[in-house]
Amino acid sequence: MTVVTMGRAALQSMPRVFITGLGFVTSIGNDAATVAGSLRELRHGIELYPPFQKPEIACKVIGTVKGFFTDSVDPEDWTWPAPYEIKRETIRSMAPHGLYAHCAFLQAIADSRLSEADISNRDTGLYAASGGSPMLTYYHHDRMLKLGPARCSPLGIVASIVGTLNFNLVAAFKIQGASCGFSSACASSAHAMAFAFDEISLGRQKRMFVVGGEDGNRDAILPFAGMRTLSLQTDPGLASRPFDSARDGFVGTGGGVVVVLESEDEVARRAVAPYCEILGWGQASDGYNVAISHPDGTGSRVAMENALAASRVAPGEVDYVNAHATSTLIGDVSEARALRAVFGEKGARPAISSTKALTGHGLSLAGAMEVGFCALSMREGFIPGSAHISKLDPECHGLNIVRSTVSVAPRIVMKNSSGFGGANVALLMRRT
Amino acid sequence: MSDTAQTSVSSNKPFPIATKPFAPDDEAALREALKRCSPSTFEAAVQFRKTGNADHMPAVVIGVIERFVEPDLRAKLKDADDDLRLIEDLGIDSLTMMEIVILVEDVLQLTINNDELRNLRTVGDVKTFIDCKIRGLPLPRPTKFLPIEHIGAVMPVQPPFLFLNEASVSSTGANGKYKITGQEFFLQGHFKDNPVMPASIMLEALGQLAVLFLLEGAATEPGKEIGANTIFFTGCEGVRAHRMCKPGDILTLSIKPKRMKMPLATFEGAIRVGQEKAVIAEDITLTFAFVESVVAPSAVNGTAQPAADGEHSATPPLRVAMNG
Repeated sequence: MTVVTMGRAALQSMPRVFITGLGFVTSIGNDAATVAGSLRELRHGIELYPPFQKPEIACKVIGTVKGFFTDSVDPEDWTWPAPYEIKRETIRSMAPHGLYAHCAFLQAIADSRLSEADISNRDTGLYAASGGSPMLTYYHHDRMLKLGPARCSPLGIVASIVGTLNFNLVAAFKIQGASCGFSSACASSAHAMAFAFDEISLGRQKRMFVVGGEDGNRDAILPFAGMRTLSLQTDPGLASRPFDSARDGFVGTGGGVVVVLESEDEVARRAVAPYCEILGWGQASDGYNVAISHPDGTGSRVAMENALAASRVAPGEVDYVNAHATSTLIGDVSEARALRAVFGEKGARPAISSTKALTGHGLSLAGAMEVGFCALSMREGFIPGSAHISKLDPECHGLNIVRSTVSVAPRIVMKNSSGFGGANVALLMRRT
Repeated sequence: MSDTAQTSVSSNKPFPIATKPFAPDDEAALREALKRCSPSTFEAAVQFRKTGNADHMPAVVIGVIERFVEPDLRAKLKDADDDLRLIEDLGIDSLTMMEIVILVEDVLQLTINNDELRNLRTVGDVKTFIDCKIRGLPLPRPTKFLPIEHIGAVMPVQPPFLFLNEASVSSTGANGKYKITGQEFFLQGHFKDNPVMPASIMLEALGQLAVLFLLEGAATEPGKEIGANTIFFTGCEGVRAHRMCKPGDILTLSIKPKRMKMPLATFEGAIRVGQEKAVIAEDITLTFAFVESVVAPSAVNGTAQPAADGEHSATPPLRVAMNG
């Protein structure tokens, strides 16, 4: 008891952390308003993907990013929507997802009404997560082997390796505070969000940009075919259906999302209306398999319990859980079991949905993207339904998986994320 | 970049011209490589690759540099003189310099070592460098940028009669700048209530730049150097003044040696203010004499020491902080 009391005393002196800005380049929209509309009306962003329309490729669909052309290995061939002006000097060292995130970053700055001085100072940092750029890694490596190192682009490395997102954005936006990248596969940007929260609540930074990005193209998605984990559905409207008994794998997607976190002092100083408060988070690992989640979702369960404890929230107070569920056979069931252990067995019935039915699975992008969705749901006053379920998997019994959008603003929201190696993160947010 | 960079400035192998004929495949690859350059750049590259004629080289090099310069700065290249600086004037950073080098290497089929790049600071440096590479000539001494402290230290002329604020000296000539402050003593009387820089003083400024060239840029015999106190004015011809210069104007001076044979050195000189011609001198002739070299610290010995450049020494193109 003593320990808990001390913990609470310490927590009470910590600065509270708020989400004050969002930027989106996703398969379901390239701005917050479009994304909110897609979530509310359950409009998915999945399409037949031209590079996959070959006999030897069984997977046919991805969640496509619209309005951009980034298929070329030469950034100077890329095109992006008109409002964004980006110099050659800036894009030459970027991966496709660097471009997406750069545009999302500009949105987030405008949304949170940050001045240049607010962005570039020692109290403002940037945490990012992406899987790097397999397309550019391959291109530059192949060039090196074929033509020799002297003919390699001097920017090949910073454009392709994991970390490309933080290198580029920190330089482009002149970030002077904390910066680094996170690599826990599909939990990466949830980890980035969580540690950015810590950075502010420990008083080390006043403001953090959290960025998730993925190329989501052939080279980023198709390697998952080797695991037989991609949906082979050819109907874009059926391919991603978390919690449905006929689900057959995930649908890949890319994009870039930026979430701005600020301390309560900064929120007050700048007199901005935040989307929501981040209450706390928890994490735990399965310690089970390199790529397969524990069948009982043990790590996910402990992560959720840790998040609730750290945030001093009872299971019954949670109104909505944005699930990690990616539409894979094993993953969805283990999360369902974990959710039942955390909520159902305590008599709590939060609404649960997976927005990956609409977007596809954004891998390292997913956590930040879906935290952004949760923030929109709290501000706009709805809980997005879990789309594309025609027959709920019986393993989901006892869970309140909402199949259509509920027009109620959730007060307390949980966001789950899980990645390879059995890494699990749960974040808790509260409407403001 | 790397401490293990080869140190082979002198190993300047001639360009292997016509080791294999220029095939249609090569033309396609060249077209792809130069797809963002002007058509004339591509044409010049094709001609160079077919004939090996180095006369086509400047068009290729300028075309490649232009392709990497931000569009709003490209105008500067259009009527560029060789003193246009890559970093300061064109905004080319060390990584862009690498991009330029890789494309030039690819297009002209030559290899440039990292340490050779360090001294390339102006468009003229690049052109001269590539020209020497292609012709198999020894590489020229790099352009030196001399701040006022350095100029004051080597010049026999001193304030208030020194009319150079900064200068750069290469093996092919010298350039300088002088800002007319309005505080120059002679402006009190030239003219009454109407300060105008005397044409004779402008000629003097060109002469001073030529003196600086003799001291800092001219090739001398081993063990000899030109004595600072041996240089005097002997004559000038073809002098025309085109524009009145007044306080606030920044004079851009340039001189190029035309003939040099002991004891006379003849230069052509010009002064511009912005893009406007101010003074032209077809011939400025100085007399000079050699003296025995004294073993002096390298900073005044004319060797390009980055430290001697003081704050004007920009980061050498390749000495970039590659933290990765």
